[in-house]
Amino acid sequence: MGWSHQHFSGEVIKILQYFDADLFCPDLESTTKDDVLAELTERLVASSQVKDSGLILDMLKRRESLGSTGIGKGVAIPHGRSLAIGDLRVLFARSTKGVEFEAVDKKPVHLFFLIVAPPQDKQNEYLPLLGKIAELVKEKSARDQLQGCESFEDLSELLEERFGV
Amino acid sequence: MSDSALSIRLMNLFRLQDLDILIRESEDPDLTSSEEEMGFPHPHMDKLHSARERLAERIEKRDLRLYQKIAKRLEHAIVPVEDRTCLGCYIALPTSAVSLTTDPEQLLTCENCGRILYWLE
Repeated sequence: MGWSHQHFSGEVIKILQYFDADLFCPDLESTTKDDVLAELTERLVASSQVKDSGLILDMLKRRESLGSTGIGKGVAIPHGRSLAIGDLRVLFARSTKGVEFEAVDKKPVHLFFLIVAPPQDKQNEYLPLLGKIAELVKEKSARDQLQGCESFEDLSELLEERFGV
Repeated sequence: MSDSALSIRLMNLFRLQDLDILIRESEDPDLTSSEEEMGFPHPHMDKLHSARERLAERIEKRDLRLYQKIAKRLEHAIVPVEDRTCLGCYIALPTSAVSLTTDPEQLLTCENCGRILYWLE
C-alpha cells in the first residue's frame, strides 16, 4: 500500500490541516544548509506554538547529521520530533536560486517541506504525513506545480487536487 | 507564540529527550525501514550517540540521574502540562504545583507518575 493511501485512526489524513498561510514561504533568502534550517525554524516559530526556536534547530541539525533529508530532484524534507512544539506543523518553502543541502543526488534544493511534530503524537499522524509528502514530490508534475505556487491558495489547491482534502 | 524563557537546566533536558527520541526511532527497524522507503537513509547513527554523550556531560548529574531513572521505566521522561493535567498520566496536578512554575530553578515532577513537567503554553 502506498503512503498516499495510508490511514490513521480510521480516517484518511486530512493533509491540509497541518499547513497554514503563515507557513507558506515562497521566497527563502538563505543560501547555505545551516542558514536554511535556521530560516525555516524562525518562520515556524513566528507562527506556531513553539517553546524555543533553539531546541527545534538543534533537533533538525541532529536529524541532518544522521543523514541528509535532501531526497533528490531538488527537494528536501527536514523533519523530526521536539518537545518544543505543541502540534504537528508543516512549513512549505521555496528557494529560487537553490541551496546546496547535501542531497542524495548532490543537486541544489529548491523545494522544502519542514515537518515538526511533538513527541506525544497519539494519533500517529507524523509518519504517514511524512510519507504522503515524500510520495507527492516524487512526481515531476507535482514538483513543477510546487515550483509554480505563488500563494498559499495555489498550494492549497494543489494539495486538494492531489489528496482530495 | 514566540520563544519563552526556559531554564538552562530544562532546556538541556529537552535537548536530551529530543535526541533520545531521534535515536530510539532511528534504531527502530520498522521506522527505519519506512523512512528508507521514503528516501531518507540513516547512515550516520554513530554521530547521534556521540552527540548524546557530549550533551549528557553538560547536564547536572542530579538532573541526568532523575531523567534517566524516569526514562528507564517510561517512554517520555518529560511531558507537557495542559489545563493543570500531566499529559503523561492524565492526573490533575495540585493547585500548589502551579505556583512553582514561575521558578526557573525548580524542576517540577508529577506526584503521580514522576515525570518531569513543563508548561507548553
